[in-house]
Amino acid sequence: MGRSLGWWRVALLALPLGVYGAFVVWPLLSSFAYSATNWNGFRLSFDLVGFDNFRALAKDPLFAGAMRNTLIWTVAAILVPNGLGFLLALGLERGVKGASFLKSVFYMPVCLSAVVVGQIWIWIYRPDWGALNGLLAAVGFPQGERAWLAEPGSALFAIIAAWSWQQAGLSMVIYLSGLTNVPHELLEAAALDGAGYWRRLRHVILPMLKPATIVVVALSVINSLKGFDIVYIMTGGGPFHASDTLAVLMYDESFKRYRMGYGAAISVVLFLITLAVITVYFRQLRKLEELTA
Amino acid sequence: MSAVAARMSPAGRTALLVVLGALAILFCIPTVGVVLSSLKSNAEIVAGRLWWVTQGFTLDNYIEVLGQRRIYVYLLNTLLVTAPASMASIALGTLAGYVFAKLPFRGSPVVFIAVVAGMFFPAQILLVPLFRLFLHLRLLNTLWPMIIVHTALGIPICTLLTRNFFAAVPDALREAAVLDGASELQVLWHVILPVSLPALAVLGTLQFTWIWNDFLWPLIFTQSDNKRTIMLGIVSMKGQYLVAWGVQGAMSLLATLPTLFVFLRFQRYFIHGMTMGAVKG
Repeated sequence: MGRSLGWWRVALLALPLGVYGAFVVWPLLSSFAYSATNWNGFRLSFDLVGFDNFRALAKDPLFAGAMRNTLIWTVAAILVPNGLGFLLALGLERGVKGASFLKSVFYMPVCLSAVVVGQIWIWIYRPDWGALNGLLAAVGFPQGERAWLAEPGSALFAIIAAWSWQQAGLSMVIYLSGLTNVPHELLEAAALDGAGYWRRLRHVILPMLKPATIVVVALSVINSLKGFDIVYIMTGGGPFHASDTLAVLMYDESFKRYRMGYGAAISVVLFLITLAVITVYFRQLRKLEELTA
Repeated sequence: MSAVAARMSPAGRTALLVVLGALAILFCIPTVGVVLSSLKSNAEIVAGRLWWVTQGFTLDNYIEVLGQRRIYVYLLNTLLVTAPASMASIALGTLAGYVFAKLPFRGSPVVFIAVVAGMFFPAQILLVPLFRLFLHLRLLNTLWPMIIVHTALGIPICTLLTRNFFAAVPDALREAAVLDGASELQVLWHVILPVSLPALAVLGTLQFTWIWNDFLWPLIFTQSDNKRTIMLGIVSMKGQYLVAWGVQGAMSLLATLPTLFVFLRFQRYFIHGMTMGAVKG
């Protein structure tokens, strides 16, 4: 019996673990190997260059810029869509009419592809007939008009705004599911004790939302490290690399400038950052489980 | 209705509804803009009347797009990638999820976490090695790399959700079936899966949406127009309709219809899957 159970485990796991191993784990590990080469993407041969790619990275202003932009993106991603999602969840939780319809409206952008979101927002930012400049003119502030995506000062923030529009709904539903875990008895007791909404929010609701907050913050960080499609579509990382993220730079080096080894080095950096983030994330989750257990 | 809401004054409730409603309208504006653009002539859009009363709607943009053979090639390619990759990833995830939920072994939590962690890493980490692999296999510029990679990348989320769902199915059901002489595969197929249809629906909607919307992998793996999927396709068609804004709007909308339909039809599953994947991750 025990033996046949072992056989079943092997048989059932062979295919999924085999596919996962061959097309996820193995490529992940070999990225480390490619980062020590100068492979150009079309020749089958290449030379080993040791840590040269990483040394070059350390001196590369484009890499520094992409790091800075990814960091800005991460901070903005933690604050903007999550803040918005949090407020929307609080509002919807208070039982207004049509809450489920409103919820769908706020969530809908999550199911749109980056290509379509990018296109929508490129139009909003257009200098000639774009809605944003039109709005600024309409409210009597035409000096604020600009070519949002074509100017280095605004391109990155314009993309982040578009991205926040898409992501807010995701944070909202996570916060909403967190709010359903707030015990009603606790809220009622607090209300009977004369605590107004703001005090209940601060002392009862917010502490109960800590797990949801850990989740949305971690997701924001992870998703900003993944930030590629929408940047690539809206600006391609430009103008003059002003909106390059690590993921975009990695693609450009590998598939536009055919420096696959160099691109692999960037991907190794990206991997190490992500690994650090998810390690912290899993630790926090475990700490929470210990607290609630 | 929550306990918090019960004590809210009618005036306060109206004010909240107004604020939320206004936000909802703001949220809709970008999408509405694309819908409007697809129904207006280019002359009107360029004249700045995209947001304003129109002289009349037109279906010309849709007729233009649907008259293009390319769009059907893109749609067919996308379907040929999305359907098999969604099904394969769910099937493989189900097998793994069953073992992790019902047949745990020493070290299985570690293997489980290693599998699930895969969904957190940026795809960039895999680009160079996978490109070289499929270059060697001479599969670049076919649909195969996309099918294979989406299957593999779907395994983490499918394993995670099926494991969590299967774990909630009472062990007694499995044990009874095993005593009756059922094999593990029969237990999975006849006992576990019939009560796990909601989990499969969640995964179906998630995988379909993600793979349909994907842009990165076709960008890496395809060169010729007749192998492109819809999202890459409409980006490349923009070149042809550089200033035909209405046509671009119609293309975006057509490309979005399938996922929009899935979202509206299976919204509960979709939202549930997104939160579960995020929270339990």
